[in-house]
Amino acid sequence: MIITGVILIYGTTDMPDWGDPDSPASLHVSPRYITKTMDETATPNMVTSVLADYRSYDTLGETTVIFTAGMACILLLRKRRNGNG
Amino acid sequence: MVDFIVSKYNYWIYIVLMMIGFYAMIGKRNMIKKIIGMNIFQTAIILFYVSIGCKEGGTLPILEHAHGHAEQAIQVAAYINPLPHVLMLTAIVVMVATLGVALAIAIMIYKKYHTLEEDEILKAIQ
Repeated sequence: MIITGVILIYGTTDMPDWGDPDSPASLHVSPRYITKTMDETATPNMVTSVLADYRSYDTLGETTVIFTAGMACILLLRKRRNGNG
Repeated sequence: MVDFIVSKYNYWIYIVLMMIGFYAMIGKRNMIKKIIGMNIFQTAIILFYVSIGCKEGGTLPILEHAHGHAEQAIQVAAYINPLPHVLMLTAIVVMVATLGVALAIAIMIYKKYHTLEEDEILKAIQ
C-alpha cells in the first residue's frame, strides 16, 4: 500500500500545476463547451448544458444505474421484511 | 522547490486519502469498514478530478450576463473547466448507488450470520 502511494506520488510530478489554465484537460473540448453553450443550448450553466445536452446519453445511462441500484435495494430489503430471505 | 510543492500538494493530499481508503479495503476485516473505505477511495478520485478542472482566477462555469445583454466575447480562461464537474456528477451518482447496494447486501449478511466480521463469516460457512 505504501509502495502504491509512493508510485502515485512519483506520478504526480508529471501532472499539471494546480490552477493552470493551460493544463491538457482544459484545452481539448472544454473551450468549445464554454464558448458555444449559449449559441447551441441557450443555457448559461455549462454543467447543465453538458450534462443534459451534449452528454444526455451518459445521463440516461446514469439514470439506469441509479434505477437498477434502487431496485436492487428494494428487492434485498423487502425480502428480509417478509421473513423468507 | 517551494513552487513545486505548492503546485502539486493537492495531488498528494488526494493520494493520502486514497491510500487510507485502500488500506481500509484490504486491511480491515469488518465489512462496513471495507464499504466505507471504498467510499473514501471514490471521494479521493472525485476530488482529484475536480482539482484538475480548476483554473487560477477562473469562476464558476455559469455564464455571466447571459440573458438580456449584448453579445460579449467569452474568455475561456475566465471559467473553470466544466467537464470534470459533469463527469464527477455522474461518478457521485454511481458512488451512491454502489454504497446503497453494498450496505443492503451487508444488512442481508448480518441477518443471516449475525456478524459482519469476515473471519467469523468464513468460519460459519465452513
